[in-house]
Amino acid sequence: MPRTGVFICHCGTNIAGTVDIDKTVEASRNFPGVVHADEYRYLCSEMGQDIITKAIKENDLDRVVVGTCSPRMHENTFRKAAAEAGLNPYLLEVANIREHCSWVHKDMEEATPKAIALLRAAAAKAALNEALEAPRLDVEKRALVIGGGIAGIQAALDIAEAGYEVDIVEKDPSIGGRMAQLEKTFPTLDCSACILTPKMVEAAQHPNINLLTYSEVDEVKGFVGQFDVKIRQKARYVDPVKCTGCGICWEKCPSKAPSEFEMGLSKRKSIYVPFAQAVPMVPVIDRDSCLYFRKGRCQICEKECPPQAIDYEQQDEIIERRYGAIVVATGFDQLDPTIYGEYGYGQHPDILTGLEFERIFNASGPTGGKVVKLSDGKPPKKVVFIQCIGSRDKARGMNYCSKICCMYTAKQAILLKEKVPDAKSYVFYIDVRTGGKGYEEFQRRAAEEHDVAYMRGQVGKIFPEDDHLVVRGIDSLTNRNIEIKADMVVLAAATVARGDAPELGRLVGINSDSYHFFNEAHPKLKPVETHTAGIFIAGACQAPKDIPETVSQASAAAVKAIGLLSKEKLQGEACTAEVIQSDCSGCLNCEAICPYTAITPVEIEERYKDGVLKRTVAEVNPALCQGCGSCAVTCRSGSINLKGFSNDQIMAEVDAICLQR
Amino acid sequence: MAERNVESVNKVREAVSQDLLGGRIDLLLGWEKGHYWWQSRPLFARSEADLEKLAWDSFCAVNLSRYLLEELKDHDKVGVLVKGCDARAFNRLLQDNMVRREQVILYGLPCPGMLDYNRLVEKAGGAPLEITEENGRVIIKVGSGEQEAQRDDLLLDKCKDCRYPDPAVYDQLLFSPQGEKEVTERFKTVEELEEMSAEERFGYWEKELSRCLRCYACRQACPFCSCRECFVEQENPRWQGRAYQPSENFMFHLVRAYHGTGRCIDCGECERSCPVDIPLQELNRKLIKDINELYGDYEAGLDPEQEPPLLTYRPDDPAAFSEK
Repeated sequence: MPRTGVFICHCGTNIAGTVDIDKTVEASRNFPGVVHADEYRYLCSEMGQDIITKAIKENDLDRVVVGTCSPRMHENTFRKAAAEAGLNPYLLEVANIREHCSWVHKDMEEATPKAIALLRAAAAKAALNEALEAPRLDVEKRALVIGGGIAGIQAALDIAEAGYEVDIVEKDPSIGGRMAQLEKTFPTLDCSACILTPKMVEAAQHPNINLLTYSEVDEVKGFVGQFDVKIRQKARYVDPVKCTGCGICWEKCPSKAPSEFEMGLSKRKSIYVPFAQAVPMVPVIDRDSCLYFRKGRCQICEKECPPQAIDYEQQDEIIERRYGAIVVATGFDQLDPTIYGEYGYGQHPDILTGLEFERIFNASGPTGGKVVKLSDGKPPKKVVFIQCIGSRDKARGMNYCSKICCMYTAKQAILLKEKVPDAKSYVFYIDVRTGGKGYEEFQRRAAEEHDVAYMRGQVGKIFPEDDHLVVRGIDSLTNRNIEIKADMVVLAAATVARGDAPELGRLVGINSDSYHFFNEAHPKLKPVETHTAGIFIAGACQAPKDIPETVSQASAAAVKAIGLLSKEKLQGEACTAEVIQSDCSGCLNCEAICPYTAITPVEIEERYKDGVLKRTVAEVNPALCQGCGSCAVTCRSGSINLKGFSNDQIMAEVDAICLQR
Repeated sequence: MAERNVESVNKVREAVSQDLLGGRIDLLLGWEKGHYWWQSRPLFARSEADLEKLAWDSFCAVNLSRYLLEELKDHDKVGVLVKGCDARAFNRLLQDNMVRREQVILYGLPCPGMLDYNRLVEKAGGAPLEITEENGRVIIKVGSGEQEAQRDDLLLDKCKDCRYPDPAVYDQLLFSPQGEKEVTERFKTVEELEEMSAEERFGYWEKELSRCLRCYACRQACPFCSCRECFVEQENPRWQGRAYQPSENFMFHLVRAYHGTGRCIDCGECERSCPVDIPLQELNRKLIKDINELYGDYEAGLDPEQEPPLLTYRPDDPAAFSEK
């Protein structure tokens, strides 16, 4: 018989307010194997932990049950307390009588017996607990950053500065991301490229950073400390070692395609660097538009290239590397507003999205920095900005607020006034949201000093008439219909998750919310961690974010990664699966289901009649097993046990609850 | 039935005797006649004399592949006569790593469907003495004379809706294949059950399962039941009681059916071997239907290379619970 001690926490009034602690303690004394029961106001406090450690020693306890909050909160605290008293920490069991009981009930008469039942179950399980040892695992001292935007660059720089190797995988030909596309940044109006490009160059030159541009992650296996990643470096058809970035190839290239970087507003060559400050300054050939790849002739770039860096035979290359930690910083997309037919997006060249308008301002953009209408090249005198296109729209778009639009709209209106002094801006908004340092002041400046008319309301229709666009809307404050003859309309299209986010999440092994933004492990306390140990998230792949927030989150993710990489050894999972090989029939369904390739077939010998029979059974590699339990539930004969959650332990819990009602 | 049958039995015997007597196989799993003329039971042939007993007639319903589980422990190489369902059962065992392909030689027998003695009695209106078959018709001889019936009307339940009468896997095909059969009523009963209210359905199964004697004949006949120790017999943890009372019977049959999800080859041996006529195939077919509806058509046992839906992950797998 075990010697079990039960300790019940009041958690202030969190538990004691709904659960009769005295009754619970009394009932606990009668559970099989319980030799000691006690309660305390805050068990997680130092005093509370002392009570547990002392009681273990004084009463010679070999099992401990704590009735407290969720094990997610304090299981480790109590395990440490048990270990302090010389008990194997896995002999302690948590009964969650807060989240599972007191918080969800109001009636003490009902909550108390439930708390007792949960404790009885925990005591029954604890009796079957076994001492477990967590394996100690190696840490590969290298990080992978997926995404080379400002988030990825910042995270990589921080990790590299701490002395660890970092690889940045960027799917585009250059790092820089969305920030490289922006003209100026709110609320200080410093030039986006001017503050970004030094960081891009720093990343490229850092001895600890290895840039893998035009590359994508193909496969992620392994686990914290030892992620085995396959990276596909797409063929550029240009030898990056020979290429000097002189630019002759793209000057001479005769074929064109819409420029992704310019949001399709202008064209780029088929051999191209996405923008003038690209890092690395090595072009790529776009096979879809290249004459040579399409028709087998041309080859002008090859003929003209001084260092002969063009290589049409180049193939995608697979790089396989091991990483200790991964930072996912894959950024965002802009919603395509064509789903809103009333705004006429895509049907008129002067109806733009925010990001497109951003390019119009830019000196290297499609208009060379002149703020003009794409339809006739004249400067726009009246510009209508419409907020929340697809944001805060339960019916057709996203429920959430895209967060950056109010601010960039104010910024664009100010920039417009600077470039076209006689221009007038109108902003249709639902609410103006300007939380952030200096943000409110900035927006007020736009409204008060830059001739921007803010109108609370909605636009119902936009259509071209003569040489302008008619914007019809309603001012919801005065309930008046409004009609503006505008030269240009800018739609603040929602910030949305990358189209390939679900696929990447699956590949990397992290989950996302219903909008496909990656989930943090805890909205307050673990904002950069994911539910997968060793994988962190930064930037707008988690939720819409502006640059300062993105950068801080990137540095936070970097610190988490550094903390991990700086460890000599990691404590592995103690609760791993084990196969009862005598019962295992060797169907190996567990092997098929295991996400960590921790299960392999192994041949065993068994006595059979007068001889020996060889047969195949499953075996778990405890270093690879992460204790997810998928194998245990797949096994029809129950031949796999998850240590710490074994079949008999679970059944003991069920029996303790069901048989005693 | 005599002449056609003698010919075909000879053909089967000829095919296997070379292998068995020549030492290419150590054992042949086939059928022999049982106590009565309307029974064919498994034959374990090791010699020429054993082969004399070989039968291939309209009563060879027993699925032979399942016997490989035991026989391969004692024999290096075993030959098996396989009908459509026996062959799918073999693929089941292959996929579950219970057999290795090279240990077995399969003699394929495209199957006309096996006859149900009870239906013969019913048609004949008394105990039949013998039958003769001709062009899809069966002449049943009874004491008072003869009755004639369509062969299709006399088939076993398990054969009525059999879609794949030809073996999906074999080393040697002994007769010409008949092709995939069109079946229309395979899920008819399941659909009827689905139409019922939850209470009605519970009542239906309570009544059916209350007859269960827990003899486990269904499990013993089943090619997907290959556990070394069945969950019903495990002591620690004790998943369920042994007594035959309704709740325990439910537990046994539902868990067993779930163990066959995406694995049951629909051979119907469970139902045929059940001494108290529980419609077990309907439980399995409900799960087959669900799998088809959720993951696209999947026929277990047809192609051992095809990945079973529950052991694979596809991004477009249904996951209604995680949707927005």
